[in-house]
Amino acid sequence: MTAETTENPAGPPGKAADAPSPRALARRRRRASAARFWKEYRAHRAGLFGLAALTLFVLVALTAPLTVGSDVDSVTDAPGQPLESPSGRFPLGTDQFGRDLLGLLVWGSRVSLLVGLLAAALSVAIGAVIGITAGHFRGWYATVMMRITDWFLVMPTLVLAIVLATVMSRSLGTIVLAIGVTTWPTTARLVRAQTLAVESRPYIERARALGGGHWHVMSRHVLPNVMPLVLAQTTLIISSAILAEATLAFLGLGDPTVVSWGGLLQDAREAGSVSSGDWWYLVPPGVGIAVVALAFTLCGRAVEAVLNPRLGVSR
Amino acid sequence: MSTHDQHGSGRTARRPWRARLLAAAGACALLLASGAVAPPVSADEGEGGGDSTLTVAVAQSVDSLSPFLAVRLLSTSIHKLTYEYLTNYDAKDNHVIPGLATEWKASPDKLTWTYKIRSDSKWSDGQQATAEDAAWTFNKMMTDPGAATANGSFVGNFEKVTAPSPTELVIRLKKPQATMTALDVPIVPKHVWEKVGDLSKFNNDKDFPVVGNGPFVLTDYKPDSYVRLKANKDFWRGAPKFDNLIFRYYKDQDAAVAALRKGEVSFVAGSPSLTPAQADSLKGEENIRVNDAPGRRFYALATNPGARAKDGTKFGDGDPSLLDQRVRNALFMAVDRKAIVDRVFQGHAVEGAGYIPPRFSQYFYEPAAGQELAYDPAGAAKLLDEAGYRTNGDGKRVGKDGKPLNYRVLCHATDPNDKAVGKYLQEWWGDLGISITLDCLDNVTDPWLAGKYDLAFDGWSVNPDPDFVLSIHTCAALPATPKDTGATDNFICDKKYDELYARQLGEYDTGKRADVVKQMQSRLYDTGYMNVMAYPNAVEAYRTDQIESITTMPSAAGNIYGQDGYWSWWSAVPADSGDSSGGSSSTGTVIGIVAGVVVLVGLGVLFAVRRRATADERE
Repeated sequence: MTAETTENPAGPPGKAADAPSPRALARRRRRASAARFWKEYRAHRAGLFGLAALTLFVLVALTAPLTVGSDVDSVTDAPGQPLESPSGRFPLGTDQFGRDLLGLLVWGSRVSLLVGLLAAALSVAIGAVIGITAGHFRGWYATVMMRITDWFLVMPTLVLAIVLATVMSRSLGTIVLAIGVTTWPTTARLVRAQTLAVESRPYIERARALGGGHWHVMSRHVLPNVMPLVLAQTTLIISSAILAEATLAFLGLGDPTVVSWGGLLQDAREAGSVSSGDWWYLVPPGVGIAVVALAFTLCGRAVEAVLNPRLGVSR
Repeated sequence: MSTHDQHGSGRTARRPWRARLLAAAGACALLLASGAVAPPVSADEGEGGGDSTLTVAVAQSVDSLSPFLAVRLLSTSIHKLTYEYLTNYDAKDNHVIPGLATEWKASPDKLTWTYKIRSDSKWSDGQQATAEDAAWTFNKMMTDPGAATANGSFVGNFEKVTAPSPTELVIRLKKPQATMTALDVPIVPKHVWEKVGDLSKFNNDKDFPVVGNGPFVLTDYKPDSYVRLKANKDFWRGAPKFDNLIFRYYKDQDAAVAALRKGEVSFVAGSPSLTPAQADSLKGEENIRVNDAPGRRFYALATNPGARAKDGTKFGDGDPSLLDQRVRNALFMAVDRKAIVDRVFQGHAVEGAGYIPPRFSQYFYEPAAGQELAYDPAGAAKLLDEAGYRTNGDGKRVGKDGKPLNYRVLCHATDPNDKAVGKYLQEWWGDLGISITLDCLDNVTDPWLAGKYDLAFDGWSVNPDPDFVLSIHTCAALPATPKDTGATDNFICDKKYDELYARQLGEYDTGKRADVVKQMQSRLYDTGYMNVMAYPNAVEAYRTDQIESITTMPSAAGNIYGQDGYWSWWSAVPADSGDSSGGSSSTGTVIGIVAGVVVLVGLGVLFAVRRRATADERE
């Protein structure tokens, strides 16, 4: 976490000559903690299931260009007839253009995962920066920042995201931004609380007394301590970001030329497959969204349980 | 652009049923449909005893109930039901027949028109409808700009309107006008409307019942919810067979279809059309008939001709390459209209040709063999090469400024067809080396009026008299200054077209006028500003166990909702078993409520059990 640290603040400085180099020490310590983490994570069966599901989806998404190819969303070369029901040739049937829905589902996972990850990263980054600075600087800065956070917290996320997506041009970037900008307040609150807790510890005072500036305290001492929280929060937010992406695409606010799971649902609804009962058009993208969101949540919960000893028992 | 939706020729593609956001609750709506929607139906049952009610599901909300302001298809349809027009169109073949006027004639100099007003038409408050009412309506539109909002184009050429006697109306024109027997202006009662102050702000939706003399009387209205009409038993042409007519607003077409399946509505309007999937699934259903009629709409691809105002100011930012007719034609030549009909509309449309749909056979025009811009991607590429737009190393065509061509195509987020066709355009034009950006917006009006588009999906419903849809492409329709809103559709201003337009408007001989109208369409086709891709069918459905028979217009293969007249609703005959529908819907309500209660109780029990189970673990 303090990845490229060159000194080992815990190690006694005098005996460095005969002991392994601080870098090696740090590496060994990290390896040990990673192993410990993995051992504890393994104990959470749900977490393992989530991880397996995620690995599968990521593999499918990454290999999509090889398995289905980018031509899958071409409407002019669509192989089938409109809205064919599942058959040997099209295991999940076809959409209203006659495109293979299995292929579209696989291709759409790329966008859904990508947007979910980017939006969650953006959201957590904003939340972490605001949370840490607000917890560190206190005073009027913290007051202003926290009031802004509160304002975003009480705003209905979806409405705000819809407004942003409507105002800006239609692209994936817009969707990422709309989700990221609207979902950070919880992270900011959590991180600020943790920052306050960390900063009240005596060693922070010691670091300050030894001349550690704001940057040093925040990046060397606070950040490593809030990182587990941020990590767990990220995995949890990814699932809600994927859901939000699907929602926005379903409401017709996504880029209509990009295939995503939410977009597929929207297409299905516009084609009238809800009332005509073309389940093969509606169910697979919905199940896809649900399973990926569930997988991320399971992983997030497991990570949280491992990193936060107070949660302790895995229930 | 709703101001353009004149007298029922609603530009349905731009209809503002954009409240689709709420469709997220679609599933909930479906679940709750029985509970939330049924009460008004049962209320009818209660108040009128054996009253028959016809409920129509529409996907459009009312813009205004004032005949001077209303432009949407639903509102103007309601006005056709509640007010009389001087003339009407025959349901069989659209020819002009008497309405409030029983006969009419033009003076030899073609400038004075005399109408004989019928004496058997009464307003719903008991007063006689006279020529005085008609004269007042027209005079108001000529003198008050607020009253000319919706139908002002009809009276622009009027010099003087008088009513020498209660049964005689005289209109004096400045120039001959061919549309004098097709004045689609609702005549309002003078004694009610002269008390109204500012007509531009009066929406006619406070005092019910609204005084009218059509086959139905407007009795109730709730914005974005329903419009209720009651049969006018004294209507001179005969009373309607249904006692009540309700237009109920469904934001989601799928919900409307579900309501039709359950018998909560008798009719689902084909505007927007049912999707092919919906139509196919309804076809197999018992007691439901799907009416798939040639539509009165065209579906076109408009190119920005360089937006400008009447004062000559150019505005907007249309791509300069589109000013070259060869480019516009090449773009259209790369559009496979047959594929659009087969794939997107799945046969529920007719391949595009001229501007006016084939349903109006008198004015329908087809390009000659040598003139036709048939699907020919190779020819299109050649034409672009000739025009100087060659491909660069990456296979992209570059504009005169050296940058690759990329057109913004304005599309209606509310119209699935726009998006679908857009996907095809992206691939067809991509093969030519031209990329596009699909701008799908809920509200296309702002960029449209500002001229900030390169191409746009466009569509108008056409009236039996084509004057209006032709007038929106004349120079006279351009906005006065860039800040104003003109009647223009696509900023077209073409001298030759304007000359032809003036000629047809002054031509009283129908055959000769039709010839000129065809020449106008030919000109429009060549310029490539309005490229008609298809004429979508009106696909609508109704329950045969609630409606025994209903008139289509034209009678052979015609539509039912959005007719030029009141024929469908006036003629609809209730089926004998109509009352059972009320029963079934209230059964549905009961089932819905019971199911809801069961779910709630189940959840409550589950919650209680969970609480007890975790009681000792909670702090």
